[in-house]
Amino acid sequence: MRVLIEAIGFGIASGAVISLGAVGFTVQFGISNVLNITYGSLMTLAAYLGYLLLQAGLDVWLALALAAAAVGLASVAFNRALLAPLIRRGTGFVGVVIVTVAAAIVLQYCIVAVAGPDTVSYGQQAGSTVRGGGLVFTTSQLTIIGLTLALMLALHLLLTRTQLGRAMRATAANRTVARSCGIRTERIIDLTWLISGTLCGAAGVALAISTVSFDFTLGPTFLIYMIAAAVLGGIGQPYGAMIGGLVVGVVSQVAAAYTSPAYQDVWAFLILIVMLLVRPRGLLAAGTASARRLAG
Amino acid sequence: MRSLQFSHDARPPAPSGAFWSAGRARSRYLLLAGGVAATLALAACGSSSSGKSGTASASGGGTINIGVIGPMTGSSAEIGNLMSGACYAAAHEVNAAGGVLGRTVSCKLIDDTGDPADAVPNVTRALATTGNLDMAVGLETNTAATTIPLVNNAHIPMVTTNGLPSYDSTTDTYFWRMTASDEQNGAAFVAWAVRQGYKRVALIFQNNGDSQSNQPGAVAAMGHSGGTMTANLTIPGDASSYSSVVARVIAGKPQALIFAADPQTSATFLSEYRQLNGGKVPPVITATESLTPAFFSTVQKVMGTAYMTHDIALIGTYISPSTSAYSLYKQAIYGTPQIKDPATILGVGTISAIYDGINLMSLAMDEAHSTSGAVYNSDIAKIASGTPGSVVVDSYAAGLAALKAGKQIHYEGVGGAIHFNAHHNSPGNFSASGFAANGSPTFLGEIPGTEVQSLVS
Repeated sequence: MRVLIEAIGFGIASGAVISLGAVGFTVQFGISNVLNITYGSLMTLAAYLGYLLLQAGLDVWLALALAAAAVGLASVAFNRALLAPLIRRGTGFVGVVIVTVAAAIVLQYCIVAVAGPDTVSYGQQAGSTVRGGGLVFTTSQLTIIGLTLALMLALHLLLTRTQLGRAMRATAANRTVARSCGIRTERIIDLTWLISGTLCGAAGVALAISTVSFDFTLGPTFLIYMIAAAVLGGIGQPYGAMIGGLVVGVVSQVAAAYTSPAYQDVWAFLILIVMLLVRPRGLLAAGTASARRLAG
Repeated sequence: MRSLQFSHDARPPAPSGAFWSAGRARSRYLLLAGGVAATLALAACGSSSSGKSGTASASGGGTINIGVIGPMTGSSAEIGNLMSGACYAAAHEVNAAGGVLGRTVSCKLIDDTGDPADAVPNVTRALATTGNLDMAVGLETNTAATTIPLVNNAHIPMVTTNGLPSYDSTTDTYFWRMTASDEQNGAAFVAWAVRQGYKRVALIFQNNGDSQSNQPGAVAAMGHSGGTMTANLTIPGDASSYSSVVARVIAGKPQALIFAADPQTSATFLSEYRQLNGGKVPPVITATESLTPAFFSTVQKVMGTAYMTHDIALIGTYISPSTSAYSLYKQAIYGTPQIKDPATILGVGTISAIYDGINLMSLAMDEAHSTSGAVYNSDIAKIASGTPGSVVVDSYAAGLAALKAGKQIHYEGVGGAIHFNAHHNSPGNFSASGFAANGSPTFLGEIPGTEVQSLVS
């Protein structure tokens, strides 16, 4: 039992990082309807920006905030400069996806050209170890968990309790109708990319803190987990993405505690498949009682 | 696929309760995205897989090209750098002695990117387009299974540093290996643990070809060592956390870790070990493949210099620093202009096999009076083993001089005596190296090959 509780704790810690990225991904896709594969490379960019800021002597959490903000702005620029014009000219959904794949590869190679292919390290940023109730966390893990929860709550309040949130939901539902109702959808889209890009940047730095060291493959490697979390949670459900991330993290760590760790990801993805067979639209699928409750 | 034809604005309205439209079309898109992301992630693993290959120096005319087949780009590029360094040093020495049959030799870098998918077209192209490609070196573990058959079929003798145990019993005519297979190397890890008096040892290997191929030998050797294997785990590379695995290992109370993983995985695993074990991490025994600046700098940042210099032993092919062959090798490494990091190249024993291999193949060409692989291949074993009355030589220059004097020669290089078996393997002895505070290698001790064999037989 001790091993199980401990593994669940480890899973919550690693799942929180996945959740952070998954929430941003699902928000971006849900509102702008762009399936942005560049998201992974932008996480890598954030991790390297965080590294530069750490090298400059900044505190790791300040570095996280600044890198996240920078990637948020970069995301807005990316959408405005590349994706929005393509969409305006009639490029279809799949075409835009392919462009984001291409942009991801270009960005990744640019990062390698500037930063080199070698692994870089944030050094030991874990902080002290906190034990309680059979769970073991580091202070940095607790901070990331807290940050994820806080951002999740803020996002929930934004979407359900504010005029802006209603405008975002309306834009997501039907951009033409929203525009005809007076909503400035371009600004809404910009704001969406800013918020999701910031979450993407925060996830990139949080990942780098968690892995301690990383290279240019960081973001693309973990993007698949974040997409899995978004699918598992139910498309367009920030809470779902968060729960999905925690499920992926916990299943991986529990599997590593009891089976060969080499297959920890296999277990996580098997659970994902089984859950989708049972609930094809995800854990918090729209229309369910729980989703209605959470959606306000 | 019809759903893909919806434009954004044409989508059906969002179901009530959703923050935004979350139709089935999106589920499909996300699954598509999952596939794309997975592909991208895989591409990232072998990134820089541009198939770029470069020539070390201009080839043409009568120049004999040495194909250095290894990862020159991508995440394993450091291995290619080591291989090419050893080739440059050997070519420098051979050319300084007058070349082979009066012709200069040149290193031709053939980038296998560390990925079999890139290796096959890149090596095939190089074999087809490179004139006078008469010997090959490198052919490392990740791509050996795909590149060795290509080179063997081209009748080009090769000295490989790959560690695949399957080549312990190869019948490939042009294959030659003067380094231990990974299985024997894994057993050498245990031999070192036994020598240090560790009775309780945990085995942790990353699930990549390089690391995991050491595992069977280490497990077999643990069975013969009289010690206790507290854990035998395979871990995925570059995970965000290994906490559960670390907790399992700690529970076994090991005195030492036999651990093989890439720098990023090592840093994450060892830092979590320290975090979960009250700041204490047992000594690590690993492979000389980790004797690189990248491994040192990455792990040192989380473990500190004291741990790096006192608690890490790196096991690999033995080279004796006291021989004249080593002195000549060192001189060549430091005297070759193309080599930027001589200390690193000097510290990786396995790499000296490339230097020895080029000397050996060059002397075989001289002996056979031919650069044709089909002709000089059999002379490689002859010069390595020697014949009664042959003169022992430890450099290309000495060997060439002896041959010109009409003598039979027996080459003993940096790795010592070479005893090829029927499968063209000569595993030799092993060494344990450590890190100095600046990351350069230090010599910790020698492990006789017989001691290792006793643990696996």
